[in-house]
Amino acid sequence: MEYVDGIIIIVGLYVILATSFNLIIGYGGLVSIAHPVFFALGAYASAILSRQFGLPVPLAMVAGMIVALVASVALVLPTLRVSGDYLLIASIGFQLGVLEIIKNVRFTGGAGGYTNIPPFLIRDFGREAYVALVLVVMVAVILLVRLVARSDYGRAMSAMRDDELAFASVGRNAMWMKLAIFGLGSGLAGLAGALYAHYFRFITPEQFEILQSSAILTMVVVGGMRTTWGPIVGALLLEALPQAITFLNLPPSVLGPIQGLLFTGLVLVFMFFRPQGLVPAENVWRGTGETR
Amino acid sequence: MAAVLDVRGLNKSFDGIVVARDIELSLQSGQVIGLIGPNGAGKTSLFNLISGVVKPDSGTVALDGARIDGLKFHERVSAGLSRTWQHNRLFPSLTVLDNLLIGSTDYPGEWLINVLFARGRLRSHDALAREKALSILDKIGLSAAAGALVSDLPYGQQKLVGVARALMRCGKCLLLDEPMAGVEGQSYAAMQRVVREVAAQGVAVCIVEHNVAFIQDLCDEGVFMFSGAILARGPVAELIRNPQLTELYFGH
Amino acid sequence: MLNATILLQILWTSLATSSYYVLFAVAFALVLKVTRIFNFAQAAIMTVAFYSAFVTVQWLEWPAWAAFVVMMAITLAASFALERIGFEALRKRGVSVMFVFVFTFMVSEFVAYLAMLAFGTWPQTIFPTIFWPVTLVGNIAVSAWDLPAIGATLVMLALLFGFMRFTRIGQFMVGVADNPDLAELYGVNKRQIFLVTVLMAGALVAVGMFLYGTRAQVLPQTGLSLMLFAIAATIIGGIGNLAGAAIAAVILGVIQNSSILVIPSEWQGLLLYVFLFLAIVFFPNGLRMPRRRRRFATATRDIGDGQDAPAAEGQA
Repeated sequence: MEYVDGIIIIVGLYVILATSFNLIIGYGGLVSIAHPVFFALGAYASAILSRQFGLPVPLAMVAGMIVALVASVALVLPTLRVSGDYLLIASIGFQLGVLEIIKNVRFTGGAGGYTNIPPFLIRDFGREAYVALVLVVMVAVILLVRLVARSDYGRAMSAMRDDELAFASVGRNAMWMKLAIFGLGSGLAGLAGALYAHYFRFITPEQFEILQSSAILTMVVVGGMRTTWGPIVGALLLEALPQAITFLNLPPSVLGPIQGLLFTGLVLVFMFFRPQGLVPAENVWRGTGETR
Repeated sequence: MAAVLDVRGLNKSFDGIVVARDIELSLQSGQVIGLIGPNGAGKTSLFNLISGVVKPDSGTVALDGARIDGLKFHERVSAGLSRTWQHNRLFPSLTVLDNLLIGSTDYPGEWLINVLFARGRLRSHDALAREKALSILDKIGLSAAAGALVSDLPYGQQKLVGVARALMRCGKCLLLDEPMAGVEGQSYAAMQRVVREVAAQGVAVCIVEHNVAFIQDLCDEGVFMFSGAILARGPVAELIRNPQLTELYFGH
Repeated sequence: MLNATILLQILWTSLATSSYYVLFAVAFALVLKVTRIFNFAQAAIMTVAFYSAFVTVQWLEWPAWAAFVVMMAITLAASFALERIGFEALRKRGVSVMFVFVFTFMVSEFVAYLAMLAFGTWPQTIFPTIFWPVTLVGNIAVSAWDLPAIGATLVMLALLFGFMRFTRIGQFMVGVADNPDLAELYGVNKRQIFLVTVLMAGALVAVGMFLYGTRAQVLPQTGLSLMLFAIAATIIGGIGNLAGAAIAAVILGVIQNSSILVIPSEWQGLLLYVFLFLAIVFFPNGLRMPRRRRRFATATRDIGDGQDAPAAEGQA
């Protein structure tokens, strides 16, 4: 049962990652691959604060979320002032660069990883409690993103994506919105990271590499951008696939690349034959069901 | 009487080509000025410079006495300077009504905080904005199109929606960039009505247009631009009778 | 211990090793200039180039010159496929920037994983050894690799320059770079130009990877890191400015190598990301260089709806 609990938690966390990334890239139209790095920052911050500084785990988790949020603003603020294309390039640099730092710095445990992360809930309430926690957070995140997308904010995001110049011409401030979207999305990724850290209690930089960027991007693109169910379907599909392959009993040196090939291959195939993804979004923004 | 829009000494060169040469322009409240000239005279560039889409090499722009040249484009709009676009930049993913709603003066939905914690504020604002939007649509005869997508409308009506969106803001100054291009029939009359009404409310209006009849009908004065400079300003009838200006206009 | 010899040594070595950086940067800058695409798939081309040379030398045991020919042929074929099957399809659909990015990024990742599968994840080099005989010139160690590398780079750059300046197609490339629609009106075949551009970039990349792979170790994911260098150099050099990209590549290479004097080696890897970040934040338009008069600029260039306003204009 521990194995199954682990899988449910991983899938739940990926749904959070995919949904929050959908907010950034799908609804916000911000092209960035730097999502795993915020997952990592949340995990490491929460782990270090609780192990090294004795912060109670719930507080450490919130702190992890805030660290991820602040870091994301640090990435977006200077680059968006320039232009959107540059955000993309900067995000690649940020994703690779921050991981490089984590690998080389002593207090994160370096390339070997960070161990003995304080547990949470399991000792008192059992593993199922943690699974429940993750699932509750997952549902909350899904509902939150859905709420935002269907509100007046969603209308604004849709307009901003359509035509930023026209958006400015009606007096709206795109910069602030992008910051908020990026911050919220990245903060949620950080929260997922913290949840990851305190369950598995051992994190290494390898777990947050560019492979994850491809995976999350695939989940959103293949699942369907700008929908509630798209990222969920994408996350389920992309977590189910590797599990299916493990039954083939391939050696790890082959398993990794094959997973990677599946992720990237899927995206490429979908991009050419079904670019809207498995769950297609409407091209039109619809609000929260008020009379039109 | 202080000018609503005061442009002084505006200069801009681009790749060695002068698009604005020492532009001086002022608009009074309620005035409707027509900006005419051949293609490439720099009319749209002037709008871009005034609204803040493009940064000038030198010069100042003041709105209601206050300098706005330090402000970004969207900040100038907030200060009361609205503009429309030559190619009518509507939001294709939004309905006509939503296109207008996104253009309202205040938009609490722009802040995530409000969406998460102040739904009440959103609701009350929404009611007011809808009222205003629907009344504007009514004035231009497009009430029935409120729920339609912009791509479903004929071009003339799309342009009307573009102007309507700019009218959602209680502005001080309105810059219309070729509002009549491609517009005819009922939309033409509606556009005239709208401009007259807006001017009557005290807004200073400047219209770039090639449609001389429209300019003659509506505008108190005309400004003739050529090669980035303002060559003449005066009653429209006089400008179009001037043989040198006519040659410049049609010679190119 | 800082003395003239060490400095000169570092200067020489970094100059020599910046040869491949220059080629990668110019390739990236060229494609960006003419097709307006940030070609992240260049990493895939680089991977293909390296491993085709590797296989030819180490598995087939053919001589170096044959490997070079094979590598060039395969790389050009891959570039051809990328442009005709990839970019052209994307252009036909009129896709967004995001789409192009995801596509090029995924192509590079896909090829990297293929390489991982076929060749494993341990470092490889084209020749079994990356040690070259060294001669001492004064007190400076000059590797037998250095001069041919610099020479090859200069030859490629000269060929590129000559092509763009003196051939019709080359001039068309500049025209398409400036104003593709206008160029089309003048009867320039855009399709052909884009293909030539991507092929030329492929050639530059092939030579660059041959140089790199005979001097340093390559992993399936090396392409992406080298790409970042190219991107940083392109941005600092000024988008549209090939000479700028080349010079920036040399400068960045020298800085990165000299950094060993001031920072511990494990942090050297980070330097590149710092460059990239600084480039974007402080030099998004590149270091100012005098711009040549553009041939295809129209006399009355209306800025229109602000869409053509370059980043330099920005918003007031």
